[in-house]
Amino acid sequence: MSPRLRRAAVRTRAVVGLAFAQLRRSPGRTALTVLAVTLAVLSVTLLASLGVGVVETGENGLENAGRDIWVTSESIDPESSDTANPIVGAHGMSAEMTQRDDVSSASPIAMHELYVATDDDVVRTTAVGVHETHDGFGFEAGGGFETEMNHSDGNYSAADRPSEPTTEEIVLDPGTAESLGVSVGDTVSIGTSRQTARDDEFTVVGIASYYSQFLGTDVETVPLTDLQAVAGTTGTDRATFVTASVEDGADRDAVAADLDAAYPGYDVRTSDEQIGSMVEERPLVLASGATLVGLSLVGGVVLTVNLFALVAYQQRDELAALRAVGLSRWVLAGTIGVQGLVIGLLGGVVGLAATPLLTRGLNRLTEAVVGFESLLRTPVEVYAVGLVLAIVVGTVVALLTGWRAGRYARLEHLEA
Amino acid sequence: MTRCVVGSIELTYGPMSDHALRRTTPQAGPTTTDERESPTAVRLEDVTHEYGSSGGRGRSSEDRTVTALRDVTLEVGAGETVGLEGPSGSGKSTILHAVSGLLVPTAGRIQVLDTADLTSLSDRERTRLRRHHVGIVFQRFHLLPSLSARANVALPLVQAGIDRSTRRQRAESLLEQVGLGDRTDHSPGELSGGERQRVAIARALVTDPDVIVADEPTGELDTATGADVLDLLTDIGRDRTVLVASHDDATLAVADRVVTLRDGRVVDDGR
Repeated sequence: MSPRLRRAAVRTRAVVGLAFAQLRRSPGRTALTVLAVTLAVLSVTLLASLGVGVVETGENGLENAGRDIWVTSESIDPESSDTANPIVGAHGMSAEMTQRDDVSSASPIAMHELYVATDDDVVRTTAVGVHETHDGFGFEAGGGFETEMNHSDGNYSAADRPSEPTTEEIVLDPGTAESLGVSVGDTVSIGTSRQTARDDEFTVVGIASYYSQFLGTDVETVPLTDLQAVAGTTGTDRATFVTASVEDGADRDAVAADLDAAYPGYDVRTSDEQIGSMVEERPLVLASGATLVGLSLVGGVVLTVNLFALVAYQQRDELAALRAVGLSRWVLAGTIGVQGLVIGLLGGVVGLAATPLLTRGLNRLTEAVVGFESLLRTPVEVYAVGLVLAIVVGTVVALLTGWRAGRYARLEHLEA
Repeated sequence: MTRCVVGSIELTYGPMSDHALRRTTPQAGPTTTDERESPTAVRLEDVTHEYGSSGGRGRSSEDRTVTALRDVTLEVGAGETVGLEGPSGSGKSTILHAVSGLLVPTAGRIQVLDTADLTSLSDRERTRLRRHHVGIVFQRFHLLPSLSARANVALPLVQAGIDRSTRRQRAESLLEQVGLGDRTDHSPGELSGGERQRVAIARALVTDPDVIVADEPTGELDTATGADVLDLLTDIGRDRTVLVASHDDATLAVADRVVTLRDGRVVDDGR
């Protein structure tokens, strides 16, 4: 080893020894700084796992729906009175799609503004019309419904479907059920305006918040043909989406491309693309998510910076004395930097160890309060971000503050 | 003997001689203090220093500047022990800090041994000069409470990259010579004031400097303990240049001559 390298090694060892001596000297302060780094790491890991969880919950929602392909239209037809349901002849289109060899099934989904009423009360809410509910609904009470698609032969005509509700079953959102004071087995009436709210009577068969999760508002689930009948769109057969499942082994992207060519007036997306497009349509959600993650990072960094600036400030007398006896600023920065590394490492490890415990606790809480299961998800990337914050930010910040601490290492502190 | 080359300066570290606190490196000049024509170890020429002048960005900075030194010219010969006396604020400490390169005066020139004018050196070069040629003894010791007496004494050797065992050996030998051979593992908190100051003196000597500056070295000590420390300083002063600032007559009595300061000016250089 060259003499220069040997001297550097000797200095490094001494710097590490000094840093540990300083840490040991004030165990209380060391514990508190470790705790502060732990909190910074936790704020990042918990917020990041919330972000991941929100996206995954959305994806799972679409996956639970079991649909590979989503067809919709973004063109707003000024002639149409129903911009929420831009697809016309939705059952016919579904029948056509089902006839393809690579599509196993296709079905429309409609959305309408809805008034739900009891004898005493009326609430304005949103309805989703589907052919059947599924296992992923997570019913709080009761169950779902199942209706015929009635287009199996592909020769669909509007006349095949009744213009009056036939199933007359509804799944209510828990919030709606509570505000109306109804439960499973009770009867409510529905309509698409306040005037028609008492025209059609439906039986409450279940209570679930499945669609409410995705739309962020109370949503009732109604059989599609009944909803169209109530809304008066049986004739035009309007829907918001037509969703399709591909046959096992079929290439989802290729089928989507084919369908896109076959229906040039509509947007055909795979479920992944649909998630992306739904998120893009909600810049506020994206912005708040990014703000949360940004704030947690900035908060973590600011906390760490303050912490190490404080550690360096508290050691200003020692630093000034070291400087006076001839130690260089690099050696001083090194002693603070190594303290930062050790504190960052310890805080990071404690923070990462506490993350799964707290995540579990918070998940239990959110499940009890808002009904989401496992809203916080912790893939390995979340841990990686937390560890990087603790170690890299901790050390870099400590080195910089140590370097700046050369400023503290001045006479005033020796004379005080 | 361990030889260590630091920059252009060669330091030699080895077991201390039997003569307590005597230098282990050959000295450039004669060591007797009686020879007035001995080579100059420290020279200040027309040194003026104003505190607050460097940060004078504000409108009222003029009002806040305090002139600590006014045209101070002073020469200290190699091997001479010079006392600095004067009331508080007369500029004693400022001279010591300027000689050790801890501050750069507003005007004037400072030379320590045969180095370049200290005011023309960078911060880094001044740190290096201090490390190799100047040992500092503070009134309040300024030992690191987290380290043992031995580690405190060995600290200045860290920068030179001297290996641990040589550092320990050198520190233990010095502690032995200041009468603390049985206290090497004690932390500063476990030592009395006089013992702490002796550790600080051992630390100042560990790089075998040519010049020692001591700022009120007995200021925190009772008379008896102070006398012990003064004996030690007298010992050191036998073959080193020592500048000692004090209010205390007993402390100043160890000096070969005493320079008197008033309001930042030398009113008597003791010759």
